[in-house]
Amino acid sequence: MDRRAALKKTAMAAGSAALVPSLFSLLQSCQKKPRLSWEPIFLTVNQAELISTLVDTVLPKTETPGALDMKVDLFIDVVFAKLFNKTAQQTMIAQMEQFNTTCEEKFGSIFSELSVQDREEFLKEEESKSGKYNGKVWGTAVGEQKPVGFYRTIKSLALWGYFSSEEIGKNVLNYDPVPGEYLGCIPLSDVGNTWSL
Amino acid sequence: MANYNIDAKKNMTYDAIVIGSGISGGWAAKELCEGGLKTLVLERGRIVEHVVDYPTMNKDPWDLELRGALGPEDLKKHAIGARAGFVGANNEHFYANDEENPYTEVKPFLWVRGHQMGGRSLLWGKQCYRWSDLDFEANAKDGHGVDWPLRYKDVESWYTYVEKFAGISGQALGLPQLPDSHFLPPMELNCVEKDIKSRIEKEFPGRVMTIGRVAHLTEPLNGRGQCQFRNRCDRGCPFGAYFSSNAVTLPAANATGNLTIRPYSIVNSIIYDEKKGKATGVRIIDAETNEYIEFYAKIIFCNASSLSTTQILLNSTSDRFENGLGNDSGELGHNLMDHTYRVGAMGKLEGYEDKYYKGRRPNGIYIPRYVNIDEKTKTDKFVRGFGYQGGGGRGNWSAGANQEQFGAEFKDSLMKPGPWEFFITGFAECLPYHENKVTLDKENVDKWGQPTLAIDCEFKENEKAINRQIKSDAVEMLEKAGVKDIVGFDNEHEPGYGIHEMGTARMGRDPRTSVLNGTNQIHAAKNVFVTDGACMTSSSCVNPSLTYMALTARAANHAISELKKKNL
Repeated sequence: MDRRAALKKTAMAAGSAALVPSLFSLLQSCQKKPRLSWEPIFLTVNQAELISTLVDTVLPKTETPGALDMKVDLFIDVVFAKLFNKTAQQTMIAQMEQFNTTCEEKFGSIFSELSVQDREEFLKEEESKSGKYNGKVWGTAVGEQKPVGFYRTIKSLALWGYFSSEEIGKNVLNYDPVPGEYLGCIPLSDVGNTWSL
Repeated sequence: MANYNIDAKKNMTYDAIVIGSGISGGWAAKELCEGGLKTLVLERGRIVEHVVDYPTMNKDPWDLELRGALGPEDLKKHAIGARAGFVGANNEHFYANDEENPYTEVKPFLWVRGHQMGGRSLLWGKQCYRWSDLDFEANAKDGHGVDWPLRYKDVESWYTYVEKFAGISGQALGLPQLPDSHFLPPMELNCVEKDIKSRIEKEFPGRVMTIGRVAHLTEPLNGRGQCQFRNRCDRGCPFGAYFSSNAVTLPAANATGNLTIRPYSIVNSIIYDEKKGKATGVRIIDAETNEYIEFYAKIIFCNASSLSTTQILLNSTSDRFENGLGNDSGELGHNLMDHTYRVGAMGKLEGYEDKYYKGRRPNGIYIPRYVNIDEKTKTDKFVRGFGYQGGGGRGNWSAGANQEQFGAEFKDSLMKPGPWEFFITGFAECLPYHENKVTLDKENVDKWGQPTLAIDCEFKENEKAINRQIKSDAVEMLEKAGVKDIVGFDNEHEPGYGIHEMGTARMGRDPRTSVLNGTNQIHAAKNVFVTDGACMTSSSCVNPSLTYMALTARAANHAISELKKKNL
């Protein structure tokens, strides 16, 4: 059974898309290969799959953990639910749908179903056409910040979720909660990776 | 810590009442208590005990669900604070609830408040610069506003007095326009800042760059610990390393046994006795019970913050003062000033890739005013001047969002520090304009039935002319210093962003054109003192808090001496 069609149908039958996550476990049972191992609190399963594959492509597992190891996709689901206001939620969801539509037009499938190579091909295009963030002074953007669109927003959230996670903050980057002193000019080789805080 | 007056009936009469417990209120409390006066501090918000009430002081990003960000509900509560850009889950409990404390922006104005014991002393930027006679003489020389009733020599010893107790770190430079403080050792500049400093000073004779002068201890003082370079100041410092009322002045006041603090006490008005020709007390509303209560004292210090003090005075009407206590001149509420801010330049530096730093320094660089300081530096484009703050550091993973890369190599590259970046942002002096004002809005009352403020203030041509030069000079300095990818910026923000509100009950020599005399007393009610930002006659271009401290200590000691002479 085609999963997306099934989801759509079930959601319609239930009268509410909000019920989809709770039906998730039922649906999974008729899946050959479940791709999501978690239940989103805001996103639909389809949307969550897109986020998962997207953050995995941006920050894959190497000798260091990948975005999925740090549950960055779950974090972004929480950001959608609790950080975004209604307008931001709607805008982002609409842009997410558009992202997949464009993907389908170009590669014949939605992003989560593309081969790794096609995903990378598609993201290269997204990179070149997405807006950029303005510089910041003391946490506030300088000048007027124009919207950067779905891809750049999710990429930025992925970096935030990944690098502000405990494992990366404590064990991969340099964790120094109480430096005790300020040394203004030391060899980078004495430190290695970036300070995490 | 302190005696808390939570039984309202217990004690109604004190020697002195201090309204507000922020930077200036804390100093007033300390000086008055140490002078032997039984002092009641009225605080509109809750108690914040040093260390005990700093719930987020040791939290890491991963300890918080949204990693320190605020969701829509919290942002609604902090709509004003969020505009300023400093509110997050780590410090939101020290920002006032903007929904419960509305005001009207006749023109856009950002009014950031801290409604708790310690007020904004928990949140401030801690930059501390002495004023000079260039500032105190400015109004008299160019005719804007009225003359200050004092000069540098009148405040100099008080600067030293407060600096020795507060603890100010910085580098002595011997500049006439920016007198040196009594300094603790300066914090260190990093490699790139040192490089840029030497290039700017070589390319632009007369300009200097120095480490910021800040109220952070760089060595222990009076039992307080020195800065540990965590840069988590706005959560409250467990070491007491930066100056706040909570860590510094209120404990000193309390040590005398003369201090009582009453929380949840919103001052409605100051009570004026026509027969005695002076104020006799303060009427408050208990924020929790809505009960009206009166407290009495020989002297009253207004330290509620510029605009809140003004609000109280405007609301303190009597047959003698129909338009607000001490408002014979009609200047009460007028001449509102702030500093312009977030205008400057930023860019990246090549080189120093093998250099880094340790510690998160809660401080940056300062470029003192260099325009209109003498005949040689005079410009015909504007009066007064500006200074810059800023700093340099290496980028981190967050720069990756803009990089047109992704994948394994990209991820690994973000583990290393990015290129060095450097920025400067100017602070311009704002002139005192009579028409920049606050008025009481009796139509719009808050949840306690109190009239709110309507704020009608804007920057004008002189401030805009200064901003244009701030931006072009910033770009030019960065260019000459070898900075690349330079972006000049001017956010053209409304007043209030500097969070340096000043001037709405100004000092002056003439009761017909000012509210306060040369020792911060209301001309026509001499036992009422105003020593927060409301008293400021001009704004200088440097951060004002150190001057509030000095003026407060000076006025409080004057009050004690006048009381002894039975002049009050």
